[in-house]
Amino acid sequence: MIFLFIAVPLILASILPLIGKISKRLLPDILANLALLFLLIYAATFGKQLINAGSAIHQVFWLGQPINIVLALDGFSLFMLFTIALVSFCVTLFSIDYMEHYGAKATYYALLLIMIAGMNGLVLATDLFTIYLFLEVAAVASYGLVAYGLGHDELEASFKYLMLSSVASAFILLSISIIFGLTGSLNLGSVAMGFRDLNLKFVVGFCTALFLAGFGLKAAIVPFHAWLPDAHPSAPAPISAMLSGLLIKVSGIYAITRIFLNVFGINPALTTLLLYVGTISIVAGALLALGQNDIKRMLAYSSISQIGYIIIGVGLGTPLGIMGALFHIFNHAVAKSLLFLNSGSIEHATGTRALDKMGGLAKRMPFTAATTVIGSLSIAGVPPLGGFWSKLIIIVALVEAKRFSFAVIAVLASIMTLWYYLLIQRKAFFGKLNETWKDIKEAPFWMTAATMILGLLCILIGIFFSAIIKSWLRPATEVLSAGISYALNFLGL
Amino acid sequence: MNSFWFLNMGFVAVLLFIGIYCLLTMKNLVKLFIGIEVIAKGITLALVATGFAKNNVLLAQSLAITFIVVEVSVVATALAIIINIYRHTGSLDIGKLTKLKG
Amino acid sequence: MHLALLIGLVVFSVLAILLRDLLKAAISLAVASIFLAIIFFTFRAPYIGVFEISVVAGLITVLFVSTIALTKSEGDVKENKLPTFIFPFFFIVFIIIDILVMKSMLGKLTALTGSAEQRTFGEVFWNQRTFDLVAQIGVIFAGVFSVLALFRNQGKKDE
Repeated sequence: MIFLFIAVPLILASILPLIGKISKRLLPDILANLALLFLLIYAATFGKQLINAGSAIHQVFWLGQPINIVLALDGFSLFMLFTIALVSFCVTLFSIDYMEHYGAKATYYALLLIMIAGMNGLVLATDLFTIYLFLEVAAVASYGLVAYGLGHDELEASFKYLMLSSVASAFILLSISIIFGLTGSLNLGSVAMGFRDLNLKFVVGFCTALFLAGFGLKAAIVPFHAWLPDAHPSAPAPISAMLSGLLIKVSGIYAITRIFLNVFGINPALTTLLLYVGTISIVAGALLALGQNDIKRMLAYSSISQIGYIIIGVGLGTPLGIMGALFHIFNHAVAKSLLFLNSGSIEHATGTRALDKMGGLAKRMPFTAATTVIGSLSIAGVPPLGGFWSKLIIIVALVEAKRFSFAVIAVLASIMTLWYYLLIQRKAFFGKLNETWKDIKEAPFWMTAATMILGLLCILIGIFFSAIIKSWLRPATEVLSAGISYALNFLGL
Repeated sequence: MNSFWFLNMGFVAVLLFIGIYCLLTMKNLVKLFIGIEVIAKGITLALVATGFAKNNVLLAQSLAITFIVVEVSVVATALAIIINIYRHTGSLDIGKLTKLKG
Repeated sequence: MHLALLIGLVVFSVLAILLRDLLKAAISLAVASIFLAIIFFTFRAPYIGVFEISVVAGLITVLFVSTIALTKSEGDVKENKLPTFIFPFFFIVFIIIDILVMKSMLGKLTALTGSAEQRTFGEVFWNQRTFDLVAQIGVIFAGVFSVLALFRNQGKKDE
């Protein structure tokens, strides 16, 4: 039952505070991690079986009666579900040790599970308003999680994030009500059919602009990125990993991709717009990341830059471009969450996030240093790690579509990315050991375990990329490149 | 779409303008949040007015009720953050919240 | 009649953002909600009207007033007087642009007719939009847990 993806986290989240009163640490830890491990295995095995038969609409049953919850599981949804489960599992593993000094672990796990349930519901929805609603579920949970530490920085960042995110939600809803007014329905398939029959260039353009503003803010696309460099560094490290690795992709990129490719249909004007917006994101993110001293702030700007690559891949609309974008979603989710978790390990051990105060940490924290190097090289696009292949596919797609200037900018930005990541390595890990950090130890067991899993994945993705493309990415790409016809055939009521 | 729908959407645009003006110019944290509330009113009006124009008020009411439920959760979280900020800085001035530069 | 209600809604919203005293601004917001609820009643949408009054004009106003009471500081925030004075100018300009845009689009939009309604509200809310209910439960839990997390007792105070 696909509904388990939403039901398991939600039900567990509702009873966790009660369990937390009985057992403060052990039981919440075990339950949360088991639940996510179950979702991960379920997505990988059972879900894959369902996909091999083709995309499917699933009807949920309650006590034998069919109730009106209709979930659509296709290649793209399953791919996102798998990514969410994978990164969330490693994050909860990391949280076992990291969230010790924050207190109220049961409430933390409950909020985290609600955010995961919201993201899962978003990728399984077939209705525009339901997409918006689950986006809000994940967003409200994230407001609480960003402010979790109750320090001055966290509260300020969470407040600004909340304000901007609420305005974005208002834009999304305004667009949804205009679409409802035009087509009389909210179901993705009916909306696609309505847009095909009507021919209103101006209003469709206006709705596109509203959606791009609203979902673009959730995805931190320039110029709507202002909240991200404050929110991601201030949040606790596992939450930064969840936000940067998953939330901006699921609530921003997934919604944009699903709506623009399957419902509105890709057209040259939209492609040009997305290409320009994506390129500005890449360049602005890379340039702003150069001067940062705070390691998490630098990672946050790097996220903005990498989201630009994904937007370019989606904007192209060609099968190669879409495949590159989806692969980059997976690579960036794994690698960026790895880097944020490692920055959490560094902060846990040294108490600081300032790069100029660190130095030579590799001697005392070898595992953290090794996995950080792997993650950085993957994002910067160095073979044979995963990020190289996804960036290569995007650049090849750009060349194939004859957008040579964009391809050149993408390659140059990639070199700049490599440069500033190597800069972190040199400043933080290698070089002379700063005397203050003489006695620090490697990160505790579960934190190291989680980062090792992610680091291993970066290497494995790079080596086995062709198998991943064949079994996971091809079904997802087919769904998206089919464009409007997919929505008309499968998602209609 | 009949002109009545356009009239309502015109007022929705005015409410959105009022809300965004408040967000751009005011400095008190609670006042900023009142701006968000005005925007939410505008969106609720847009949803129900569109439903009325399509002769489908029941569906529009379900959507609007759900949106108000979401709004209540957001208000509760935001006011909790504001009270915590007050405990930290002793004032509700957003000028004091400039430690982080976006 | 309908126009008068809409103008009342806008007037009280403007008051809500321009009044210096926070308490009066919150009350003004509640009055604007009441106007909005009356508009909903004229749309023959009683459920949303009742919900709007009881939740937005009731619950949210109570939350605002308790926050205002909990955050009384000796010196209130010195708001800039300038935005209050130049607001009417921008407002009039925006209304003119708004009227021009709406007038130019009149009659240009052809829309599809939606499905006619024969069911009751209960059927639509519980049967047609069941998935939304799951999400509502999720968002209520998210709000409750966020507030719990933000007001938790910290054993050891750090910074």
